[in-house]
Amino acid sequence: MVIDFGSFYDFPHLLDRMMGEMSQPYTAGGRQVAFPPLYIGESEAAVVVRALIPGADLADVELTLTDKTLVLKGELKPAKGKYYRQERPTGPFQRVVRINMPVSAEKVRATMRDGVLEVLLPKATAERPQTIHIESR
Amino acid sequence: MHQNQMPDRCGMAPRIRPAADFVEREDGFHLYLDMPGVRREDLVVHIEDDELTINARTSHQLCNGERVHAMEFGDVEYSAQFALTDTMDKSRIAAQLANGVLVIFIPRREEQVPRRITIEVL
Repeated sequence: MVIDFGSFYDFPHLLDRMMGEMSQPYTAGGRQVAFPPLYIGESEAAVVVRALIPGADLADVELTLTDKTLVLKGELKPAKGKYYRQERPTGPFQRVVRINMPVSAEKVRATMRDGVLEVLLPKATAERPQTIHIESR
Repeated sequence: MHQNQMPDRCGMAPRIRPAADFVEREDGFHLYLDMPGVRREDLVVHIEDDELTINARTSHQLCNGERVHAMEFGDVEYSAQFALTDTMDKSRIAAQLANGVLVIFIPRREEQVPRRITIEVL
């Protein structure tokens, strides 16, 4: 049997999610996913990671890029006062994104807009398929 | 994040109630609503009689030609209603949208500060 540990390998997290669903079978509609929720897209030139972190400034989020992973880390602080209702998440959070392809670390760009963090990781040029022109002799 | 954040991937954006915090401080009440991805021009805050209504549509612009590896959120339509009580000053409500959080400040009504009635002993 061959197990494909491809890019963005997420099996442990999926297993956790499945176990969570089993313990709460009657939650209609959606489910509580890990915070912050992510979107990972890959185009020919770059990998883009977006996360919904409402209430956080770019300074509140710490981004660490190693060879294989991108780590999002931060903390959401609660407001002061007397709470009558609290549904928004608070406290520290962390998510690890495996990126099993070479990205050019010096060109990584992170932006924050309307509570949505966007990290653009351009692929290393060697990774991009290059067409080789074949001449006839 | 609110548990209904996960949308269907086809059809119209699902309508969900944003996660909300309601906090009382000395100056009045503060309502925090998580609305990531909402631009100011897409946000409608409406007060009619004793009801505060908030409607907003997100514009994430996801999966435009990309290969999608993970998608844990998508475009939604936020919708929320709150009842205002007599202790709140409806004429001075202020709303502010920053970092994807809508903060609505509702001041306490001055004349509604509970009066203490002194009882004289006859």
